[in-house]
Amino acid sequence: MKQHRKVALPRWGEYNCALKYIVEQGFEARCILPPPLSRRTEDLGARNSPDLVCTPFKTTLGSMIEALEAGADTILMVPGACRLNYFGELQEQILRDMGFTFEFINLSLYNTGNAKDLLKALRVVNPRRSMVKTARALYEAAKMIEHLDDITTLYYENCGFDPTKTYPKVYRQFIADMYEARNLNEIHEAFRVASRAFEDITLNKPSDPIRIGIIGDYYTVMDPFSNLELEQKLADMGVEVHRLMNLANDMLRGGGKNKQAKIRDFAEYSLGASSTADIWQAQNFAERGFDGIIQVKSAGCMPETDIMPILANLSRDYKIPVLYLTYDSQSSDVGLMTRLEAFYDMVEMRKKVNS
Amino acid sequence: MSKLNAFLGIDVGSISTKAVILDEGNAILAQEYIWTEGNPIGAVKKLLGLLEKQFDPESWQIVGVGATGSARRLVGSIVGATVVKNEITAHAVGTTTFHPDVRTILEIGGQDSKIILVENGIAVDYAMNTLCAAGTGAFLSSQARRLGIEVEEMGQYALRSTHPTMIAARCTVFAESDLVHKIQMGHPREDIIAGVCRAVASNYINNVGKGKKICSPVVFQGGVSKNVGVVRAFEDLLGCPVIVDDNGHLMGATGAAILARRSLKRTQFDFSVENMEFVTRERNCGGCSNNCEVICVYRNGRLIDFWGNRCERGAARTDETPHP
Repeated sequence: MKQHRKVALPRWGEYNCALKYIVEQGFEARCILPPPLSRRTEDLGARNSPDLVCTPFKTTLGSMIEALEAGADTILMVPGACRLNYFGELQEQILRDMGFTFEFINLSLYNTGNAKDLLKALRVVNPRRSMVKTARALYEAAKMIEHLDDITTLYYENCGFDPTKTYPKVYRQFIADMYEARNLNEIHEAFRVASRAFEDITLNKPSDPIRIGIIGDYYTVMDPFSNLELEQKLADMGVEVHRLMNLANDMLRGGGKNKQAKIRDFAEYSLGASSTADIWQAQNFAERGFDGIIQVKSAGCMPETDIMPILANLSRDYKIPVLYLTYDSQSSDVGLMTRLEAFYDMVEMRKKVNS
Repeated sequence: MSKLNAFLGIDVGSISTKAVILDEGNAILAQEYIWTEGNPIGAVKKLLGLLEKQFDPESWQIVGVGATGSARRLVGSIVGATVVKNEITAHAVGTTTFHPDVRTILEIGGQDSKIILVENGIAVDYAMNTLCAAGTGAFLSSQARRLGIEVEEMGQYALRSTHPTMIAARCTVFAESDLVHKIQMGHPREDIIAGVCRAVASNYINNVGKGKKICSPVVFQGGVSKNVGVVRAFEDLLGCPVIVDDNGHLMGATGAAILARRSLKRTQFDFSVENMEFVTRERNCGGCSNNCEVICVYRNGRLIDFWGNRCERGAARTDETPHP
């Protein structure tokens, strides 16, 4: 009897739990989780990547190598709206040149706008899969992503004000449950447990806390390793951290309808990738009276670089400070801390004077 | 007779180490400026020795210590600082204290450069160079060496020029090759130096100052502000006067001392630190693949502080010795 395929997606925040769910519950194949991202992942990626490509390429390539080392035989790569769409092709070639033997599912090749085509791409995982099971797993994985994003949102908005310091424990347990979940009941149950645990913690939050909104390129902003745990660092300073950019908001809930029309004052046309969503989110934060906005981008990310002048206009019009952070493969977060501390000090002093 | 309160501020940058002692009214009781020379601990000990000579311990007592600059963490734990603050906040606080009406603070140091926008005495926006040190003091130093003059003399050379040479300012490496090319073409030395100063100023405005509205009054500080050629270049490019405070190089340290005064934490600082032995040791945690580089600081053989670990596993134990 043929062995089950061992499928892996490069690490991206905690979204690998959803792929694991689809592969194991829908396709009845095995999912290999690459080791958590680390210096080693980055080194492996950087060594085998073109020098000037953006950091997410290097990180995902490194994670693919670690997945293959961990026994994966099938690698999955997602499509994107910028040169990310071309990443898969190049990464497959690099991995083959390195001597790995594997099946590569490049979803970019099937990204026609029709969801059925994406399913076709996944056929190789298990040609004898049941369509009913697959469809159900996809639906349930979508629920999982929504729950994951909702809990993550709650976590970063509140963990900075938790006097008991139990928020991280609840969050970590919830993530672990997501990786272990085998049916929709377990997904819902873990969500209920975590929500209730959060509710039971009495927060020590001022009535008007410092609120900072995070925007940025799709990979770096959603992956805590890549942004050097920016959200946790801010939360630890006592900030309510908001991020609208996540898979649930962007893919499943429409991400704010007619964004391009809503930001007409700032940009008439899209600048590609996450640019429109970013400008819309920045505007949304500004209109809600946030104290600051932080833009997170990997070095060489063109859409994010292009929206910087627009963010400067927005910053001027709404009188809201914007901190621009550029990430490359860095081994030290000292520079980041300097900028974050200064941003926090500034925002705090402004708030004191204005209130 | 009871002693009056005084506050020490120390700013340890990549190139220079600065310190001031202020009284309650922000008057400078003692000040010093020396080179860091890649040895922040040694620089601070030397600095404290120099300050002690200017300081009158009979009438004053240092009750608050602020540390800032890129070595603030290390120096803060050595001197027992009551406040450890980033240099951006320290500069903003120091400058707005002495120039309450300032709107824009330009700051160019040895390795970094920043711009701080101020409204009604508080910082409202700032930017700091990322990933690239083009147009900082280090660039000026290396070009001075190439031209065979002291970096301190550059400003005077630049002022003598009437036709500054155009030098590409986008990137230090390209600026350098452009500069070599212009030297070999026979451009006069004064014009080239003026061109370098102009390149620093325009690089700053195009990169760090991008998208920022620079309003007058403008205060320029950091080591590079001592270069009158760069000051002139800024005035030409911005079309407004640029103020350089005589104590501009001390603004970070001054800000740190003021922050120490504002904070409620008090200490009894004494100068004995200069005679203690401090050792730092880097240890690779090895607990996971992150392999965190943990820095441990020892005073007279005993661990007093550590940092660099991402999780508890990398925490140093207080019974660890500096020599494993």
